[in-house]
Amino acid sequence: MIDSLVLGLTHGLLLLTAWRLINSPALDDESAPPPGEEAGKRPGNRWGRKRA
Amino acid sequence: MRDLAFIAFLAAIFGLGFRRPFVFVLAYVYIDVVSPQRMSYFLLNAFPISAMAVGFAVLSWLAFDDKKDTRVAPRQGLMLALLVYCYWTTTKADFPIDAAFKWDWVWKALAFAIFLPLTLRTKLRIEALLLFMLLSVATIIINGGLKTALGGGGYGQLKLYVDNNSGLFEGSIISAVSICVIPLILWFTRHGTIFPPDWRVKTFGYLLIFACLLMPIGTQARTGLLCVGLLAILMLRDVKRRMVYIGGAAALALVAIPFLPTAFSERMGTIRTYQADASASTRIAVWQWTLDYVKAHPFGGGFEAYRQNEIKYDKIEMVGEGASVTVVRTPEIDKSRAYHSAYFEMLGEQGWPGFALWLMIHLGGIIRMEVLRRRYMKAPPDQAWISPLATALQHAHMIYLFGATFVGIALNPFVYMLVGAQIGLDTYLARKRAEEGMKPMHKRRDSPAPAPV
Repeated sequence: MIDSLVLGLTHGLLLLTAWRLINSPALDDESAPPPGEEAGKRPGNRWGRKRA
Repeated sequence: MRDLAFIAFLAAIFGLGFRRPFVFVLAYVYIDVVSPQRMSYFLLNAFPISAMAVGFAVLSWLAFDDKKDTRVAPRQGLMLALLVYCYWTTTKADFPIDAAFKWDWVWKALAFAIFLPLTLRTKLRIEALLLFMLLSVATIIINGGLKTALGGGGYGQLKLYVDNNSGLFEGSIISAVSICVIPLILWFTRHGTIFPPDWRVKTFGYLLIFACLLMPIGTQARTGLLCVGLLAILMLRDVKRRMVYIGGAAALALVAIPFLPTAFSERMGTIRTYQADASASTRIAVWQWTLDYVKAHPFGGGFEAYRQNEIKYDKIEMVGEGASVTVVRTPEIDKSRAYHSAYFEMLGEQGWPGFALWLMIHLGGIIRMEVLRRRYMKAPPDQAWISPLATALQHAHMIYLFGATFVGIALNPFVYMLVGAQIGLDTYLARKRAEEGMKPMHKRRDSPAPAPV
């Protein structure tokens, strides 16, 4: 019971962390504008390189 | 059911990795700390998930990550030298089969620690790495803390998911590691950005610290209590009202003592009467054996060299009370006794060269973090997170090195991730300074003098 409860809690938080990270352009490029500033534009490509 | 949940979790993390490859690095960190394959009954055991995560992480870094102004720190070179040296000692180890078994995980820990800083190009990545390390280790700590609070635990009896008493699931190791992560948890309650420090983050952080403090009680590992003592001293460096802090800590300790289990108090009492305790007496005898061994074998005996020791020692007990106290010496013999100290582990297994390399890696970390701590002490608000993070990483490292005096965790992968994070922070800041056209500290004559520590 305790095992499952703790596993659920920490793995939920790990997943939430990963989700927040993939939505943050600053993960790969600190000079990229935050999401929303450039409407309709993705801040970087999926592999983290800046677009030319 | 648990297996399916693990598979779903890993599938989600790997899936997110295909959107942002740095997540593969985090996936490896998680797998290495939590070892879900050890908690699994089927399926996960069949897949080399650890190798898959590190494979994806390295390949995606090689293929896609921005490598502009990639920096390599001297400590990465030292770790590479230690890796090569350990390989050499493994080829001529006294116990080749046992040594090969340990080499199998040691080289991965060192290689990952060398690779890790190359990926830490942004502040968010450094923070993400530390958060993943914390939440992963929290899986073990919260479990142990809850079971301790509910009356479980005992020396070698606290069950942490698995019966296998190795890695971070071993009582003394998790007890030392849980104290060493407390400074990092405190940093997240003040400077975190992935989860901005609101009341929820602070509540979780403080409860996690409480669980960390319960680990030495639950495991009854004396090392943990000594680490708590060092943590209390180190925190004195940054508190504003030191006398209030000392008074508060003393009052807290006095209030806590009646609530501690009797078995815990009795075991902690043996720190003072260590000669009457077989566990402590054999450590000193093994350390003496190691010193004698390296006199004859200055390049060490390779991994697991302790297996050849046969130690004789006197267990000393004081019998009676008052004036009639007599000293009773009981001769004891023990074989293949482990080092129970990272320092002697390195010395016995890798000899003087390996020990020197290991020491340089770790002392180098403490010195570099001190440099960063002082350099950014009076930084502008956007850099206010740097000095506290350097301090937290340094304190975590110092607690590890202190705990390592009594536990054989010289090459523990978790600690090498901490070293990787330190190097990542260091090279990240060096890159930032280069971008901003700043001169190195020793040339900055116009900069304010470092604040006293």
